[in-house]
Amino acid sequence: MATATDEQVRGAELGLLERLPWRRIILVVLSIAILSVVAIGAFKTLTLPADERYSTTTWKDFIVLGLAQGAIIALIALGYTLVYGILRMINFAHGEVFMFGAFGAFFFSDAWEQSGFLNSNPILSMALLLVIAMLVSMGVAILLERIAYRPLRNAPRLVPLITAIGASLFLQNTARGFFGAQSRGFGVPEVLDGTWTILGVEVDRIQVVVLVTVIVAVTALSLFVSKTTTGKSMRAVAADSEIASLMGIRVDRVIVTTFAIGGLLAGIAAVLFSITFESVSFTMGFRPGIAAFTAAVLGGIGSISGAALGGVLLGLLQSVGPALILTGYGIPSSFQLKDAFTFLVLVLVLIFRPGGLLGSSEAEKV
Amino acid sequence: MGGVPTRSIVRTGLLGGVGAIYVALVGLYTKFADLELVGQQITLGRVLIVAPAFVAAFAVTRPRVVAGERQTVELRGGLGVGALSGLVGAGVFAAALWFADWFGVDRIREVFVAITEPLVDFLTFDKGVPAGLPILIALCVVGGVVGGFVRTAPVEIRRPASAGVLAVILFGLLQRIIPIVFVQLGFEADWLYDRGAGLTWFGALIVFAVAAAANSLWNRDGGRTRERVRRNVGQAPAAKVGLFVAILAIMTILPLLLGTAISEVLGSVMIYVLLGLGLNIVVGYAGLLDLGYVAFFAFGAYTTGLLTGAFLNTTTGAATPALSADLNFYVAVWIVALLAAGVGLLIGAPVLRLRGDYLAIVTLGLGEIVSVITASKWAQPLIGGPQGMRGVTKAEVFGLNFQDNPQHFYYLALAFVLLAAFVSWRLSTSRIGRAWNAMREDEQVADAMGISTTKFKLLAFALGGAIGSLGGALFAVSIGSLTPASFEITVSITALAVVILGGLGSIPGVLVGALVLIGLPGLLREFEEYRALIYGGALVAIMILRPQGLIPNVRRSRELEDEEVSQDAWAAKAAAESEAVAAVLPGGGLGVEREDLE
Repeated sequence: MATATDEQVRGAELGLLERLPWRRIILVVLSIAILSVVAIGAFKTLTLPADERYSTTTWKDFIVLGLAQGAIIALIALGYTLVYGILRMINFAHGEVFMFGAFGAFFFSDAWEQSGFLNSNPILSMALLLVIAMLVSMGVAILLERIAYRPLRNAPRLVPLITAIGASLFLQNTARGFFGAQSRGFGVPEVLDGTWTILGVEVDRIQVVVLVTVIVAVTALSLFVSKTTTGKSMRAVAADSEIASLMGIRVDRVIVTTFAIGGLLAGIAAVLFSITFESVSFTMGFRPGIAAFTAAVLGGIGSISGAALGGVLLGLLQSVGPALILTGYGIPSSFQLKDAFTFLVLVLVLIFRPGGLLGSSEAEKV
Repeated sequence: MGGVPTRSIVRTGLLGGVGAIYVALVGLYTKFADLELVGQQITLGRVLIVAPAFVAAFAVTRPRVVAGERQTVELRGGLGVGALSGLVGAGVFAAALWFADWFGVDRIREVFVAITEPLVDFLTFDKGVPAGLPILIALCVVGGVVGGFVRTAPVEIRRPASAGVLAVILFGLLQRIIPIVFVQLGFEADWLYDRGAGLTWFGALIVFAVAAAANSLWNRDGGRTRERVRRNVGQAPAAKVGLFVAILAIMTILPLLLGTAISEVLGSVMIYVLLGLGLNIVVGYAGLLDLGYVAFFAFGAYTTGLLTGAFLNTTTGAATPALSADLNFYVAVWIVALLAAGVGLLIGAPVLRLRGDYLAIVTLGLGEIVSVITASKWAQPLIGGPQGMRGVTKAEVFGLNFQDNPQHFYYLALAFVLLAAFVSWRLSTSRIGRAWNAMREDEQVADAMGISTTKFKLLAFALGGAIGSLGGALFAVSIGSLTPASFEITVSITALAVVILGGLGSIPGVLVGALVLIGLPGLLREFEEYRALIYGGALVAIMILRPQGLIPNVRRSRELEDEEVSQDAWAAKAAAESEAVAAVLPGGGLGVEREDLE
């Protein structure tokens, strides 16, 4: 009799164990752990002895830098989001589209720097550089769509993703073969050296240029998507490409347009990135590409305002995060872990809120 | 012309010309100009001059669907069309060359680093720009004619001919192995190969003749022999066992025949076979695209180092890691595998709910986190950070030294590969394998049929992680010192390319994929720089032309024939199209395109 009861008891316990929502419990524990690590780290950093602490100016610099980099990331992220919205595919090679734009601009800025045109006509030359980079990136994006993605339009989902990874590797090494493996210094007009004081805050001139350009570009894009006929057909295809094609929208053309717009934005981002970091190399597309994808997911992939928000948040997180959270734990050279931060955010967003901040949390999407 | 619309000929020819320009810009001609394949005349560079025209002609003479009927191109038309498309391409290429010469090679080199005077000399056969161009154009036209021929000639001619040419190219590329094998087996190799260079003309002729003869024997009576052999091998267990034993025997004696230098290449092939087998479980069986596989590789390598008493590189010399043990390798490696399985569960658990591309990106992120942390100063006290570790065990046993002797290492790797292959094979035919299969094809249906997708996904991650970590452990033993540069995303991508080239879910495929992707570039140092370019191109090309891989998984190909599953119906369609027309070239051809005559 005793054994029977034991078994019953054990059975009941097992039932209880199985009925517990394990996933949720793990997630809650995980989120509490992460939050406390972040909070303790930030607290420790802010209460460091005065001589080890970052000054207010440093924090302000971190924030401005984060905003500017986030703005660049946002531009690239828009390319991911637009393509994902329409094709439901991750254009892994988008970082390479960005890289080619940077190279396109580099060769002209290099030549103009030597001829003096860059410094005598800074505004005109920057505008031309933007146009060149936009055209190059757009060309690469269109070619990419035509050669690598179009033949796979109806393939199972993983197939275009693997293709995109291959295309990314291919484009990266094409650039290496074309332009050489070493990284090159990118010339910046002298006018952009130094700072401007805006609202009592000293800001690098380049960062002002970056922020203004990005705001203009994003505004233009959202006007384009919401007001023009092409924008409307893009939204229609994103909503349901089959119905859209029945309504007389040429789906293929809309897809090419989407890639082209993504390329244009990547080209702008490429110039802004190059003048910020003053160098170009064939590997420069990979990390910003992943960061931008993370931003797109963070904001809610498929949503334009989400990508912009995600980019800015991620930029801030990348520049402020390591200093704020890791310094407190006495981790040396915490900025080295900046990219680990990006990926951690990506993983956490996908685990906790796969729909992103502004997206609906559709389970079907993931 | 010849049943092919003129516009199509011109367009394809133009693409061929653009292809040639691309090859020039990316630097392949410069790199391979002096790699002799046959005699001193046929270099890989010169083959590459002909190749774009050949491919273009081969593509443009494909059968077309006109008004619902499949029309093939006649031989005479095919030759003409090929020549014409070759001419168009050559015209573009020659014009570009002329332009480059007129504009100034040095000015172009400021942007495109591969454009040099030697390149122009090479492409004009040392005759300078206007004078050498006719030779270039003539060669491209010949390439076009050959391309047309290979597509449109009667099957009993074109098959042996292509087989012969391919064999000659392959023998030429393997110029650093085959002579050694000959000498080791006690044969003369001088008649076949020039010393330190490619085939002799006589040798090339023999190779061509043998390959062509073998091919026509194989395909005699309209392919019935081939079918019979295939069926027998496919069905009779004895034949299967025989084939396996033969492959195993070759793999066992290979390093003895090839000497240390090539054994080193084979050793790295084996490491990637191991990685491929592990990744194959995750991607091929369970259908979970893992782009962060390098995490397990790094985990295996560093944990092996820590458990076997390796020390840290520091600016002042050496230091003991924060955690360290001094175990025997053969004890440590199982602990490593077990821990890696745990890491697999840890990574797998939070991402279980994610599907498809999201899963891929999250694993990519996790892999990158591992890479970034490995290289950061933070990791210094444990695994050496940017400076890394050295002094990983040599795993000596029975007087074998696995670190300094590549031949010995090969056997250690082979033992692990056999173990992993055995496990994979048993798993694939087991209940677990079928559950993975069901899950891969349709997760919701599998769930509804009572398969615990959670359990099987975690199992796939754990097993894949354990096998991947074995790859890392072997890598650590083979090179003895670990630096973060060995643990970057390229490892994940290369392993993925190996699995995909071979065919998802196929164990022999992993071996072939690793031999092609790791072995070939390893044997020809010239390829080293273009390795990643070739991987990338291969991934795109396979996905478009032959998504099932070189050696498709048997069960998958059965599914493909049934066309039951919508996901595979697409692959089947692509496969049927490319195979129907392009049976000549192994590795598929350029699929048929629906195109009506205008």
